[in-house]
Amino acid sequence: MTKKKSLLNDQRFIALIIAILLMVIYFVFSKEFRKYSSILSMLDFSYYDMLMGFGVTFPLITAGVDLSIGTGMVCYALVGGTLVRNNNIPVAVAMLICILMGVAIGLLNGILIGVMGLAPFIATLSTCMITRGIGSMCNATPWPTLQQPGGWFHSIFKLTFGSGRGAFKFPIGFFLMLVLMCVMEFVLNHTKFGRYTIAIGSNREATALSGINVKFYHVMVYVVCGFFTGLAAIAYAAVTPTVQPGTGAGLEMDAIGGVFVGGVSATGGYGSIIGTFIGVMIICLLKTGLPYIGLQANWQQIITGVVLIVAVLIDIIKKRRAAAV
Amino acid sequence: MEKIKQNPIVKKIGFNRIILICVLILMYVAFCVGIKGFAAAGTKHLLNTMNYVYFLGFLSLGVTFVIATGGIDFSIGPVMFCCALVGGYCLNSYKMPLVADIIIAIVIGLVFGIFNGYMVAYQKVPAFIISMASMNIAKGAAAVFTKTQSQSWPLSTDPVNGWFRNIISVNGFPVGLVIFAIAAVICGIILYNTKMGRYILCLGSNREAVRLSGVNTKKWEMSAYVMCGLLTGIAAIFFVAAYTTVQPGYGDQYNNEAIAGCVMGGTSMVGGLASILGTVIGVFIISLLQEGILALGLGKDIQLIVTGIIVIVAVYADVTARRRKN
Amino acid sequence: MGEVILTMKGIDKSFPGVHALDHVDLEVRAGEVHALMGENGAGKSTLMKVLTGIYKKDSGTITYFGKEVEFHNTREAQDAGVVIVHQELNMVGDLTVAQNIFIGREPKKGIRIDDKKMIEDSKKLFERLKIDINPREKMKNLTVGKQQMCEIAKAISHDCKLIIFDEPSAALTEKEIDDLFKIIRDLRAQNMGIIYISHRMDEIKVITDRVTVMRDGGYVGTLITKDSTKEDIINMMVGRVIYEDPKTHSMCPPDAPVVLKVEHLNAGHMVQDVSFELHKGEILGFSGLMGAGRTETARAIFGADPKQSGKISIMGKDGQLHEVTINNPQDAVKAGIGYLSEDRRRFGVVVQKSIIENSTLACLDDFANGPFINKAKEKKETERLIKELATKTPSADQLVMNLSGGNQQKVVIAKWLIRNSDILIFDEPTRGIDVGAKNEIYKLMNKLASEGKSIIMISSEMTEILRMSDRIVVMCEGKKTGEIRIEEATQENIMDKATRNIN
Repeated sequence: MTKKKSLLNDQRFIALIIAILLMVIYFVFSKEFRKYSSILSMLDFSYYDMLMGFGVTFPLITAGVDLSIGTGMVCYALVGGTLVRNNNIPVAVAMLICILMGVAIGLLNGILIGVMGLAPFIATLSTCMITRGIGSMCNATPWPTLQQPGGWFHSIFKLTFGSGRGAFKFPIGFFLMLVLMCVMEFVLNHTKFGRYTIAIGSNREATALSGINVKFYHVMVYVVCGFFTGLAAIAYAAVTPTVQPGTGAGLEMDAIGGVFVGGVSATGGYGSIIGTFIGVMIICLLKTGLPYIGLQANWQQIITGVVLIVAVLIDIIKKRRAAAV
Repeated sequence: MEKIKQNPIVKKIGFNRIILICVLILMYVAFCVGIKGFAAAGTKHLLNTMNYVYFLGFLSLGVTFVIATGGIDFSIGPVMFCCALVGGYCLNSYKMPLVADIIIAIVIGLVFGIFNGYMVAYQKVPAFIISMASMNIAKGAAAVFTKTQSQSWPLSTDPVNGWFRNIISVNGFPVGLVIFAIAAVICGIILYNTKMGRYILCLGSNREAVRLSGVNTKKWEMSAYVMCGLLTGIAAIFFVAAYTTVQPGYGDQYNNEAIAGCVMGGTSMVGGLASILGTVIGVFIISLLQEGILALGLGKDIQLIVTGIIVIVAVYADVTARRRKN
Repeated sequence: MGEVILTMKGIDKSFPGVHALDHVDLEVRAGEVHALMGENGAGKSTLMKVLTGIYKKDSGTITYFGKEVEFHNTREAQDAGVVIVHQELNMVGDLTVAQNIFIGREPKKGIRIDDKKMIEDSKKLFERLKIDINPREKMKNLTVGKQQMCEIAKAISHDCKLIIFDEPSAALTEKEIDDLFKIIRDLRAQNMGIIYISHRMDEIKVITDRVTVMRDGGYVGTLITKDSTKEDIINMMVGRVIYEDPKTHSMCPPDAPVVLKVEHLNAGHMVQDVSFELHKGEILGFSGLMGAGRTETARAIFGADPKQSGKISIMGKDGQLHEVTINNPQDAVKAGIGYLSEDRRRFGVVVQKSIIENSTLACLDDFANGPFINKAKEKKETERLIKELATKTPSADQLVMNLSGGNQQKVVIAKWLIRNSDILIFDEPTRGIDVGAKNEIYKLMNKLASEGKSIIMISSEMTEILRMSDRIVVMCEGKKTGEIRIEEATQENIMDKATRNIN
């Protein structure tokens, strides 16, 4: 018996409705929100969450997790910034280093979890501390601003025409995210890597029995996550005037929360990059939008926590009802 | 070596624990020898270590119960801070009597414990997800409640509430150590001599077998988290008694250190095996370690990296030992 | 039937304490459907596992298409064209049918998996097998029967020459079985060799050419299906000299009251409208083949699994039957029922804990003063039970994982005795236990029954059923197919009822 494929069954569709609803509410009730600069600002701060979200979707599909993405992102941004500032490394190389560090930590996570068999939360909790420690060894560093030499990297996310007050800024990063979303959704659904990620999350033994090298793919899942954390570091550096050591813990919540809102299953086997995109958008709307309608910024943390629980509970209750048939 | 292992005293305490005690002593000796001025500073370093031990110890004791059920709670750091901040706010802004503030702090810990326990045991939400969510809620709630202002608890010079610091020490007598020792003993009694402890350890080892013996496993699994919440609340009191001021937005690093102390001491992450004595020794080791790192002039960064590595090593050792047994 | 494609000769395989295969022979020809029959524990699965490389044989030869072979894993067997369709499905629920069939060997267009081609090829496979399944459907949304069809399609898609079906029809509807047989006939026409493991006598008669019967790990004989009767086959399956005397008459007094009454119990398709009564001091044997639904019935009664409907009544202190509500094991234990799981290690004992901790687990309240456990009382009571049950252990503090299977079982029994449960459900009580310990458990069960405890004994061992039961309930595929008094019970009539496919 095939399930009715109505749109209402797709959590992503409901999430999209919620996202649009939120935007409408903000638009109607907040004069500030209607300003172009506000929307720009919100988008600016969404890119690093979005990139972390794309990356961590893969471990979550395998019923694992990567808790080191928040501190990792800040760590790589600090290291990169320090190299630019103190060692005069060109920004392009620093960006590459961010990505390489992300991949390296991702590989470490992958080996701890996929090969050595540590539970994902304890392994990534530890690498979270380690990256935080590494990051703390650096001083607070700003990456070059738009006007300074090397500041071209800002234009990856935001194009600026003209200068001074009258400058027009265009959020090209948003479209970049859309493109990445399409690419990664393709990877998830149409490549061996994506296919086996889902298979491992759904039934690891059956996948192994079918002759697939699950250890290899399990490790790759975390490497991909690390890669995106590296990218997120660049996006983070682009919007943070001065990256502070010791920060970052808690940033992973926004990304992970967004992935769950987007419909990933708490027990693994299902996930969608499109869902992650919409979910992270909702989290960002809540994050930056709440002050516009009068709620303190700290409420955002509480709400993110509650949103995560609700999203997971919905998934659990759905499963419970299906099993009771 | 075998003869040593067969010795009844060694058996009672546990061979691994003896090793840990040796590690602790060796560490102290190494610090005295290797760090300039460590021994010369007299009791300063020991006192600093003790301050750390008190709050971390209560955190570790709490999380021992949770890990014994095969679960996890890494919201304890931020929850501890939430307790301290809210209690502090009640003290400073609402001018509530100190005793009431202490009770409030502990109750908040309990509330989080009840919430976490209910979600994990009755709703079957994966423990790490609830930890993440609670962590955030604790941070956010604390910041909202205190309007993001740090809170200070009374110093010993305080005319009315100066007695607060007496829970740490009175005229050099380490009251805190006595309290902690009593708490550890109580935890040990609960774990090894009460129904609650028996059920927790058994269900952590094989939940289904215990359920099929007619035991209400949900109730007892939740009780482990409630215990953790209560001890986290107490940890908050010791934290502010030692360090006076708490700032919103922090607390994460203590999660890992508490878990590290626990796992190092022989509590298995898979569940079913727990050692209060091991946890206590583990906490001492971590506390002394961080004091040594500080004395060396190295920053918190090294401490974080070291703790992270310790957890990985300890958990991996546990995983391999289990694999070998099977 | 064509040439011989497979010859297994003198296959011998032992595990610690168990001689699983004792010089077994098997010969399969091309274009033949060859049935492999035997009771549970006869060795059918083990023989197939040796063939497909999951187990390594101790001795004997396997000749495949004239060459002597030994496969070291299922991949090797698969590559050589030997494929097995398992009883437990190995499917990834969240992937589609097509994705499951071609998992591990996906066709690619550059970097992209060619899902279209997989769907086309799946469609062709299904057309060839004449089954109607949508290749785009997610595997978890299919019925178990359809999933099994996919498993078969997957097996066939590997260019295979010998297919083994392990209890294929167990989860299929009548129509699906017809479809399955059409497929099998097709495969036979294509000159494939087919081994068909099943206990369903009617199907064997319909679809197979020859039947090989195994018993207690040994080879009994091979018959030509159309020349044999059902009785011939049953005789070969069970025809053994029973050295232990079967019970000749019931030990339960004829006027014994009913202590447990189960009416119209329904719990999924493994427990369909099951009703029976248990008398005081009676040993009620539950016989049937694997998958008959006996464990599921027991678990439903015990509250371990949810049930859809059914009335359970238990005799109260007043000697009258009262209906009880059992929604979870707590309720059952309070009502006086104890359940000894089939899988001792997983569900019966906490192996990392001591005998004492395990023995008092079901009634810890009795050993507690308030919250505190009276360890002296615990130890004393446990030691009493160790003595009474003659459990072999140096001390009561010994960890259960260090005990032998038989002694572990005694710890579980002790748990329910300490709890004073009046109704005991033993699920495969002597599985994995050596002969000496087995006899001790039998003596114990008889003693308990004579003391007034009421026992349900689920067992797949015919000798055990005949030796211990006062009455026998037979189940087949979720339904109760018969109730036989021990005075009238024979291996043949029990097996007959156990293999009856009631539709």
